Amino acid sequence: MNQGSMILKIISLPISIILICLGVMTILGGHITPGGGFQGGAMIASGIALSVLVYGIGNSPLELSHTYIEVFESIGALGFIILGLIGLFVGGFYLYNGGTDLLNVVPSSIQNVLHYPDVTNAGIIPYLNIFVGLKVFVGLSSIVIAFAGFKKFVEEGE
Amino acid sequence: MMLSLGPIIFGIILGLIIGSQIKLNVSDAKFTLGSFVVILIAGIIVAWQLGPFPFYTDLPISTAFLSALIGIFVGKLLFARSK
Repeated sequence: MNQGSMILKIISLPISIILICLGVMTILGGHITPGGGFQGGAMIASGIALSVLVYGIGNSPLELSHTYIEVFESIGALGFIILGLIGLFVGGFYLYNGGTDLLNVVPSSIQNVLHYPDVTNAGIIPYLNIFVGLKVFVGLSSIVIAFAGFKKFVEEGE
Repeated sequence: MMLSLGPIIFGIILGLIIGSQIKLNVSDAKFTLGSFVVILIAGIIVAWQLGPFPFYTDLPISTAFLSALIGIFVGKLLFARSK
């Protein structure tokens, strides 16, 4: 599994970190530009996959633990469901875009945090993108880590 | 110039989450904290080339990219554990 040369090992971690930053940027601009939660999460997972493939499953600098995968997969799913339920209570439909001014109690300084200079209002879309991105990043990374682990397990058994 | 705080805040949060899993002492490539200075300079160049993304009236660098990079480094320094 661990067959990379030294040049590959030196260049892979910086490229992984830059790929992860590009994925975060895609998630956070998802409501006004092409991209969004799934695409950004897949870009972050590609950074993890590059690191795991080059360094091997046992000694990769970027490797997610079992607890980490469980916790953030659950946070992503629960956040999406809770935002949908807020829409159900505010507007009467599941995932109704009630805006950031929920029940007229949120101060305007907090409302303006993810607004963008346009006539329309993204509302809860940026927050949905963040939760979807978290879930997709952890889910796709866990698939790569599981496959690398299976391959190592088979190679050790032979 | 209007500086949007949303990408900065959530970029740092997502960077902290991901950076907490970076471990430097496991590979034989010998990464140190000094290597991260080079990665930071390369990241600033990439952020500058990306332009004012995702909000087009901001600073001439990508604030979401740069805040994610800073979040990854801070998360690595604060939360990352060695194996």
